[in-house]
Amino acid sequence: MNSVQSRLDTIITEFSDLDGREKLELLLDFANGLPPLSAEYQARKATEDRRVHECQTSVFLWTELEHDSLTLIAEVAPEAPTVKGFVAIVAHAIAGQSAMDALSLPDNILERMGLAEVLGILRTRGLRAIVSHVKRGIVQKLAAVEISTQNPTQTLES
Amino acid sequence: MGTYTHPDALVSPEWVALHISDPAVRIVESNEDRALYTQGHISGAVEIDWQVDLQDHVCRDYIDRAGFEQLCGANGIKPETTVIFYGDKNNWWACYAFWVFKLYGHKDCRIMNGGRKRWQIEGRPLSSDRVSYERTHYVALEQDSAIRALREEVLKHQKSGKKLVDVRSPEEYSGERLHMPDYPNEGALRGGHIPGAVNVPWAMSVNDDGTFKTAKELTALYVKEAQLKRRAPTIAYCRIGERSSLTWFVLSYLLGFSKVKNYDGSWVEWGNCVRVPIVQGSAPYGESVAAEATVALPSFLAAPAATTLPGL
Repeated sequence: MNSVQSRLDTIITEFSDLDGREKLELLLDFANGLPPLSAEYQARKATEDRRVHECQTSVFLWTELEHDSLTLIAEVAPEAPTVKGFVAIVAHAIAGQSAMDALSLPDNILERMGLAEVLGILRTRGLRAIVSHVKRGIVQKLAAVEISTQNPTQTLES
Repeated sequence: MGTYTHPDALVSPEWVALHISDPAVRIVESNEDRALYTQGHISGAVEIDWQVDLQDHVCRDYIDRAGFEQLCGANGIKPETTVIFYGDKNNWWACYAFWVFKLYGHKDCRIMNGGRKRWQIEGRPLSSDRVSYERTHYVALEQDSAIRALREEVLKHQKSGKKLVDVRSPEEYSGERLHMPDYPNEGALRGGHIPGAVNVPWAMSVNDDGTFKTAKELTALYVKEAQLKRRAPTIAYCRIGERSSLTWFVLSYLLGFSKVKNYDGSWVEWGNCVRVPIVQGSAPYGESVAAEATVALPSFLAAPAATTLPGL
């Protein structure tokens, strides 16, 4: 089993055994593991509107879909490690998965990890917007794939 | 800092560095992003979080007096402890925590000028050690109503034409936006501002390095341009009372205003209330953009043109 759900379940189990401080430490480990943007995406950041406007901090996201395999590319401001860690968890959960599988990402990941209590209602709500944003990105990709299948001459831009 | 009214309310990072091991001092970090403290904090500093520690988890209110006593006791704070607050975002949450400590009558509270940002600019070390102190017995005072305004009082204050300062962004003030650019909407149904409130965005009080502007600059901003008066009862508000805690601090401690209250219900409460007056547009009584104003003004609000701030 290597579905989005099973990967999330593994992470959730890891978090749920920890106290509040340890949960934040593990979240920081995820944040530190988020790779920096490649030169290609650095260049695209300047020209494409990839900022997550619902989010309280500077977050740029690209949802890439190739041969029904997903990759989430992200850049999060260093002064927002909580957001960065959460984005890294979502990126890990959907990496290489199919679009349909990734659409099953639940909204209550933070609650199940026990992080909602550590972060408080308002921060939890802000982070939840990231999951919605990623899912919207996936739906847009799927729609684009459908259009290009119907009209094969059209090039598929990310 | 010489010309601030209460210069002792601010300490420099250098002062803090020299008092890290001082048992009479407790350093408190309050951040927007909680993981920052875990990542690294000033050695010996405890964390007090505005959401998890300072707010009641059921009622929309602050923790009660017993809860505050509990919180201070758990962090080894005594009534006579000098408590130094600092944090991210130019000390927003540090000022918020400072205000809650003052609400319960803690005597010696100070802000580390420049917060986390200035500390890091100066290349000072951060520690990821776990910090704990022996529990203390803390006795708090009843809430000080002199610094907190509740809705009914704001309504009366507004009706009698007293001073209000709205510290949100110009777009939130005018009603174009319901929340800060790039911040989630925390649920206000209506946009605009309380009639008569002048708009002085909180960020105008701080420099790029997170330190407060000079007394001269702050006086020009609040007294000369915004025409606030040192002795006049004044209420500051924002969206949830956090940015206005910083303005409350600036007015009360740096400029010596004697009657400033923070309206912590702020726009999330006012923008959802039934039948409270609201105006839209860039002027205090909304008249400069009459075409855009969709809220009818009661006769008592038909006031003459008031201050607008240049450039914002």
